[in-house]
Amino acid sequence: MVIVTLYLTARYFLTPQSFGLYGWYRAVALDEIAARPTTYAGQKACDECHSEVVQRLAKYEHKTVSCESCHGTGQAHADNPDAPVTKLTYSHCVRCHEADPARPTWLKQVKSKEHYTGQRCTECHIPHQPNEVP
Amino acid sequence: MKKPLGRRSLLRTLSGALAGALTLSVSRKAKAALQKILVASHTPKGYDPTKHKWLMAIDVGRCIGCGLCVEACKTENAVPIGPSYFRTWIERYIITRPEAGSGEMRGETIVDSPNGGMQGFPAGLVPKEQILKSFYVPKLCNLCEHSPCAQVCPVGATFDTPDGAVLVDPKYCIGCGFCIQACPYGCRFMNPLTKTAEKCSLCYHRITRGLKPACVEVCPTEARVFGDLKNPVPNDPIHRFIEKNKAAQSLKPHLGTAPRVLYAELDKEVR
Repeated sequence: MVIVTLYLTARYFLTPQSFGLYGWYRAVALDEIAARPTTYAGQKACDECHSEVVQRLAKYEHKTVSCESCHGTGQAHADNPDAPVTKLTYSHCVRCHEADPARPTWLKQVKSKEHYTGQRCTECHIPHQPNEVP
Repeated sequence: MKKPLGRRSLLRTLSGALAGALTLSVSRKAKAALQKILVASHTPKGYDPTKHKWLMAIDVGRCIGCGLCVEACKTENAVPIGPSYFRTWIERYIITRPEAGSGEMRGETIVDSPNGGMQGFPAGLVPKEQILKSFYVPKLCNLCEHSPCAQVCPVGATFDTPDGAVLVDPKYCIGCGFCIQACPYGCRFMNPLTKTAEKCSLCYHRITRGLKPACVEVCPTEARVFGDLKNPVPNDPIHRFIEKNKAAQSLKPHLGTAPRVLYAELDKEVR
């Protein structure tokens, strides 16, 4: 009897208060997980300062591509504009546009070994306006 | 024989009930005070999980296998770099042509996912002439309605949240690994640093702030679609997806886990 009482009392006081609010778990865990910091800022944050670039991008083929798809994580830059975003290299283009039989046919693909080797992509293509020639 | 309820006994019962209620409220306060000391409290940020129901959908026909989602997921959620630690990954399916005269519809199915597809896929695994069809399938937690992983957890460390995510409470996880075995989709892994089970959290820290999950944010072709089923907005991508893809399927529906993640244009070979 004493042991059972002690056990029940201890259990009552040691069970977290939020346990069982939504189910058999600590409901505060949701807030704890939600409190993590973000590294990708999201397109909206980019739009706050670079709205003209975002609007221009929306008119061309790359409209579905988010800023951070190519430019990398942006939260540090959004918090402090002096923090630089990732420098882009040639590999960013071929990552999506290298010819591959598993890629859907609607996607424009090139064989980088045969397509104007030795030249940089940006010599002929503008990433923000892929339909236009510089 | 039952005694009629007299004035004295009624008063006794009532005072007993009152005393009980008082003790309960005192003990509640004591409990709250004690827990405040033992557990660091987190203030809620005005996000009510019962008012949302999140869902991810995948358009297989739009995935180009660039691996940006895998990379973004690893960065956003600090997933250890390693060939077997993924919250999301991409699989490449190659279905070869059947042998001439075999009478089969299709040949062999080859599936690969080198480093989860994070650095892309090597070309020339199967010569182009031999490929009947080939496509990429992004994989992630299927957000089951009846999650086997939550079912087997002995300590209540993994659970289905009211807003549709399946989360792991790292403070409660004892690292027994039952959930890793229970998941029929192989979506869980043991974090080698924290020694706790980890999985796709649907970027819970992002969606509660009104952002899209990292993989959805960086997907260049909108192959990944994300939305809130309880709060439809006009031209909502998730509702558009459900409307457009009437034959959208989920993975391994026969297991009774009621997976919620929808896949459009899914080949029957995909498991």
